[in-house]
Amino acid sequence: MKLYGRLSTWVMMAFLIILIILTGFITSFTANRTSNDNWREELEKENESLKSTVSSMPDVETSKEQYANTIKINEYRLEHNIPPTQTTSLWGFMSSAAGLISVISLFTIVIGGGMVSTEFSEGTIKLLLIRPSSRWKILLSKYISTLLATLFMLAILFIVSFIVGGILFGFTGISEPYLRYINGNVREVSMVGYVFSLYGYNCVDLIMMATFAFMISTVFRNSSLAIGLAIFLMFTGSTLVMALSKYNWVKYILFANTNLKMYAEGAPIIKGMTLGFSITILIIYYILFNAISWIGFSKRDITA
Amino acid sequence: MSAQPVIQIRNLKKSIGKKQIINGISFDVYGGEVFGFLGPNGAGKTTTIRMLLGLMSITEGEIFIKGYSIKKDFEKAIANVGGIVENPDMYKHLSGYKNLVHYARMYPKIGKQRIDEVIRLVGLENRINDKVKTYSLGMRQRLGLAQAMLNSPSLLVLDEPTNGLDPAGIHEFRNHLRNLAKKENTAVFVSSHILSEMELMCDRVAIIQNGKLIKIQTLNEMLDNKADEAVTLTVEPVDKARECIESLNVNYKPVVKDNKIEISIKYENIPDMVEKLVQAKVRIYGINKSAGNLESKFLEATGGNKIA
Repeated sequence: MKLYGRLSTWVMMAFLIILIILTGFITSFTANRTSNDNWREELEKENESLKSTVSSMPDVETSKEQYANTIKINEYRLEHNIPPTQTTSLWGFMSSAAGLISVISLFTIVIGGGMVSTEFSEGTIKLLLIRPSSRWKILLSKYISTLLATLFMLAILFIVSFIVGGILFGFTGISEPYLRYINGNVREVSMVGYVFSLYGYNCVDLIMMATFAFMISTVFRNSSLAIGLAIFLMFTGSTLVMALSKYNWVKYILFANTNLKMYAEGAPIIKGMTLGFSITILIIYYILFNAISWIGFSKRDITA
Repeated sequence: MSAQPVIQIRNLKKSIGKKQIINGISFDVYGGEVFGFLGPNGAGKTTTIRMLLGLMSITEGEIFIKGYSIKKDFEKAIANVGGIVENPDMYKHLSGYKNLVHYARMYPKIGKQRIDEVIRLVGLENRINDKVKTYSLGMRQRLGLAQAMLNSPSLLVLDEPTNGLDPAGIHEFRNHLRNLAKKENTAVFVSSHILSEMELMCDRVAIIQNGKLIKIQTLNEMLDNKADEAVTLTVEPVDKARECIESLNVNYKPVVKDNKIEISIKYENIPDMVEKLVQAKVRIYGINKSAGNLESKFLEATGGNKIA
């Protein structure tokens, strides 16, 4: 009730919805509507340029594998006569709208980063804790509140982008396949599955950042610090990992493991990392964050 | 007063780092009494209250509320308690009503009826649906009292509760607390600096200084310490009156304060003194019995003006 009673929460949601609608309009008006005839030529050209790029690249470059995959996928398309997904189709729009999940990340960080610290800064924590509820229960309910809000925003993103995409681009093409390179073969996967998986992969980063912001909020009792720190890390985290990618210990840093999509595409950041490894690292960080939050809240005196 | 104490504090100690803030306090508070908790700034009043409410951890010693330990059985202990610590900060972006609903939900069985009852008790019916940020200080204080009473507590813990109330509010508050104590047998634990209010309200009083309990007595015991009456005379001219009184009896030691004279004298000797003064042509404007008041006792016990 407290979260949804705040005007700022609703403003964020409204902002999200407006962004989705805007993206829809922009996409529809500026994208090139390639006619179906040309796509074969385009793909062939793309493949040639990619092949030449690949052959001149040293083996260490991680993007080399990605380019190799794209070449294989394009060849598949040419063989099976499947045009590439237009961004101006329903599913194309929805997959690009999934990029707005990073906007949701920002909002989630704001919500999570303020959860505990505003109770302290407003002084309401005193009245909250003299109730017959142990501290961990109160902390847990706040955390769940943050996660639920995230879920709610994701649902809004999905539904609204579906509606907007459908209105602008028509509801055809629902059964279009998505092509994916798995273990040396190109496979057809349903688009719905693909979009869901996009959301799923992005959720990993989302949840970790929200948990992190929540933790800083609880330990330092300062919203600005929590939100600032989390946003900073969100933006610089993956850059940092890229920059340090020549060191092997990079794989222990959180941000090297949040983009699980890289395993599906068959191209992890550091050679030798597996899905299992990343998941283990993620779980360890997750438990660490929550443990710190719990200790920081349950054991300390309230002097505010 | 009921037999089993509602609060039992045993050898309570609190230190932060190397500093000992509370140095071994023990006392009991019973249902049906209004218990005053006094002390100079920095004595440890707020710390004790926060430990009582579970907001601060206890370094050593025990606090039992209705027999439940705050340390070991927090939820059961605190279920019987309602409190206000310093300012009752509420969620400003919600209405008073929603604030109460929020807290009511944290208890097992508080329904709409109780919430409405509590609103009526504090007199906030007209403004209860407005956002708290529009409330005046007095209204917030009343809302604070309302949330403290939601669970019909056996113990009410109040830290500076009349802060910001207008005189009518203070009067009402005082009556309300005394009613709660007498009719509902609630134990009311109040901490305040406004000694005149405490004097009107409390049954027993404890004075704390430097983390130690230096006095704990019923109010009556504290105030009526003298065998003689303390009498204050408003007279003119003051010096003549003083000489006159001194000449009556070598033991009399009148103290001059502005245009008043204070003197300890036996009840039955008062008329003689007055007669003597009139004969000496001293003009008498007023004769008052000054029971030593709480303020003077307090200052006497704590030795004046030092902050710990």
